[in-house]
Amino acid sequence: MTYQIGGRDLRSRFFIGSGKLPSYRIIPEMVEKAGVEVITVAVRRINPETKQENIMDCIPDHCVIMVNTSGARNAGEAVRIARIGRELTGSDWIKIEVETDAKYLLPDNEETLKATEILVGEGFRVFPYISPDLVMAKKLEKAGAAAVMPLAAPIGTNKGITCAALLKPIINEIEIPVIIDAGIGRPSHAAEAMELGADAVLANTAIATSPDPVTMAVAMAKAVEAGRMAFEMGLLVEKEFADASSPLTGFLRRIE
Amino acid sequence: MIKLNGTETPYRETIGELLSENHYEMKKIAVLVNGEIVKRENWPVFVLKPGDEVDVVTFVGGG
Repeated sequence: MTYQIGGRDLRSRFFIGSGKLPSYRIIPEMVEKAGVEVITVAVRRINPETKQENIMDCIPDHCVIMVNTSGARNAGEAVRIARIGRELTGSDWIKIEVETDAKYLLPDNEETLKATEILVGEGFRVFPYISPDLVMAKKLEKAGAAAVMPLAAPIGTNKGITCAALLKPIINEIEIPVIIDAGIGRPSHAAEAMELGADAVLANTAIATSPDPVTMAVAMAKAVEAGRMAFEMGLLVEKEFADASSPLTGFLRRIE
Repeated sequence: MIKLNGTETPYRETIGELLSENHYEMKKIAVLVNGEIVKRENWPVFVLKPGDEVDVVTFVGGG
């Protein structure tokens, strides 16, 4: 079943980041086997001596390219990277990532909002990466963001859903899609994000640094799908005491 | 001199000349002069001034 995000009809709710991969050449296999439709890339200076393969040659044509502004320290730099991204790919999907804190790589929500306002005005589909803050998510929604991307835990930490109590209000209260990004280290984390009601999950480090990125991507994709199915069905409430699964009538006592 | 990706490089009159002189492959790159994008079709005619900062960028893997 398709859903709408950033003006596109997509099937997959699992987005992948392309950083830290052992080789860009595994991207087509990963995309195919995990059914991925959205992939993020970053922009960097290039020296003519570097004869590394170009990532753009490895991303299948049907994928939506989401340009990431990582490396930007303020709104102005993020806007500049977004414009470069559009010039290079024609893709208007931009993930705003503004960080000034090198230790935890936590996003600067305020600069992210400024960049969102500017880029929405220039016709971009803006996907801001934020700390899970409902008030900021509402401001971004009002500014015209295509979705919000709150973190589950700091980038690359593999800690999983550390702040469900902050993510859930965002999922409950805003109308635009919520993509849980960063900190997803295992398939169970991805499933948990989807069970919470996220519209999609983005993972990078957990896949790229796995001994087998393709298989990990497939495992994540399955977990995302399973979590989404459970959410759509409706999860059951936790109970304090046991509730027998088998009938408790006195079967044994009767044969005595 | 021109500052090409942060390094002082001999002056060339146009972006096109600067790129080919420095052995850049023209595919899949974007060029910024003093922070502003210059569209590909203007590279052969865009005249540089001494001291201009030119950045050549492309895509890499990133989350």
